Amino acid sequence: MSDATMKVIDLHKDIGRKQIIRNLNFEIHPGEVFGFIGPNGAGKTTTIRMMVGLIGITKGDVVIKGHSIKKEYRKAISEVGAIVENPEMYPFMTGWQNLKHFARMSNGITDERIREVIKLVGLDKAIGTKVGKYSLGMRQRLGIAQALLHSPSVLILDEPTNGLDPAGIREIRRYIRRLAVEENVSVIVSSHLLSEIELMCDRIGIIKNGKLIATNDLNEENDTDTAIVNLDVNPKEEAIKVLRTMPNIEVLETVDRLQVQLKRDDIPHLVTTMVHRDIEVYGVNVTQTTLEDRFLEMIGENVID
Amino acid sequence: MTKLFDLVRNELAKIYVLKSTWVMYLFLVALVIFSLIMNTVTDSVDSETTYTDDWETELQEENQTLMEEIETEGEDDPFIESTNMTLIEENTYHLENDIRPYGYNAGTFVLDNLFTTSLVSLFAIIIAGGIVANEFRWGTIKQLLIRPISRSTILLSKYIAVLLFTLLTLLFLIATSVIVGLIAYGLPAINPEIIVNRPEGMASNGMLSEIFMQYGFKVLNIIVLATFGFMISSIFRSSALAIGLSMFLMFVGTTAAQALAQYAWSKYILFANTDLSVYFTPYGPIREEMTVGFSVGVIAVYMVIFIIASWAVFTKRDVA
Repeated sequence: MSDATMKVIDLHKDIGRKQIIRNLNFEIHPGEVFGFIGPNGAGKTTTIRMMVGLIGITKGDVVIKGHSIKKEYRKAISEVGAIVENPEMYPFMTGWQNLKHFARMSNGITDERIREVIKLVGLDKAIGTKVGKYSLGMRQRLGIAQALLHSPSVLILDEPTNGLDPAGIREIRRYIRRLAVEENVSVIVSSHLLSEIELMCDRIGIIKNGKLIATNDLNEENDTDTAIVNLDVNPKEEAIKVLRTMPNIEVLETVDRLQVQLKRDDIPHLVTTMVHRDIEVYGVNVTQTTLEDRFLEMIGENVID
Repeated sequence: MTKLFDLVRNELAKIYVLKSTWVMYLFLVALVIFSLIMNTVTDSVDSETTYTDDWETELQEENQTLMEEIETEGEDDPFIESTNMTLIEENTYHLENDIRPYGYNAGTFVLDNLFTTSLVSLFAIIIAGGIVANEFRWGTIKQLLIRPISRSTILLSKYIAVLLFTLLTLLFLIATSVIVGLIAYGLPAINPEIIVNRPEGMASNGMLSEIFMQYGFKVLNIIVLATFGFMISSIFRSSALAIGLSMFLMFVGTTAAQALAQYAWSKYILFANTDLSVYFTPYGPIREEMTVGFSVGVIAVYMVIFIIASWAVFTKRDVA
């Protein structure tokens, strides 16, 4: 694997006596979209604020393209484009004036580059309108445009799908995938709703109470994962007897339907055993445990808001 | 250095894109015109009297008339004696020092309009009080700080923008006064010598230099107030607090310092020192032992404290 664009090393943040973030470690690679998931208040935004130097780091470091955000702030931050929390812009200025404002703060951003970015996010028509009149979706796009101006290696988007309708979310997903694939940008997207960003991420990290409790590669085939299987067999009683004798299979339900839990790999073996015992198999229905289920399982409670 | 220039440009753009800023400028024009109207309606200035090349005879005649007025009406109206005596003294000074008088003109109007600078104070306080706090209110502070620019440079650019705004606004005010004054009263000479009251008595000064000096003292005062507002804005992130406190000090600061004048320590109060013009009038400072140098020193110390406090808080704070 190529060198990490961003390394989060042993990150800690205390506010007063409270430990907000504890022992956070992860890396993001070029062209990778990393989903940063956790319930509200888990520490996502705090972590992002440390990544971009808005708040101090109690212990640990964030290294961006080899530059420490603590010691070489300006070098590190020039590789980062970000929206922290809401995409807040100057409401009394037009989209163009806002972009021009932020362009002047970085080096060598031409008007041509600004126009290129506007086209990328599809704001051509509204760019001369005051931002105060923008919808949330348009502001989100302007926020992304602002973050992309200086062609950063890392793009950090905090809750980019917040307040967007499904069409808007799909659009954002398309930009992000395109940026990762075509421009080789590393993207970090945070969300408290896994389902909204699941489809755009290559990998997710789950944070709860300030600790990273799991990272999961979404592109790997999860063959070793357990599956829940509904069986439609006859005779049912005979089948249950057979199932009970088999190792690594747990019978979950026998009353309405026959449901068992087993390793995905063991499913073919289960079917052949049934057939050999002269049990008629009418259907084998695998209900895959979704990422959402696992997510809820891991964070231990349902996320309401 | 070029980056700082761009940043200041950004800050000024954010100030001047707002309609409320232009409303401020309309108020300034309105105030100057109001001043002209008051001059005309109340007859408080004598814009009729002009002098020819034979001004020496004219002044002597004027003095005679003034003396006669004191003799005839002095018993009924005790004020006439003092007002007329002042005029006579002035005329005599003109005669003795061979300084030609020109009557009321655009320059005199500009000097009379010195009071209009308090509106500039108010506007400078509003801008200074908002320039940092508003970024927090709008939520744009996060976007502003995640750039390859140190926080110190960003703060400096904002402070420079406040200073430039103050100067530009003051220049606009003076220009308005000059134009209105020219239209209403004309200008008989570019830079005539005028009579001024100094601690040591009557003296003369060039009109331009007097305008420069008087408005200069005011701008110093304004900058001190604006710097104070800027500090409160940076520390407390509240423009209302910054503007409120600065305006409070603007109105009561000098009076409070005067009320405490009996105590020796009162000379270290900032507002006992901010108006340097007192050293150039017969009134003088609140305590005898104070000098211009002393006041400049006190102002400098306060300004350094304000700036360091703003900087220390702004660069160290966690931006949430």
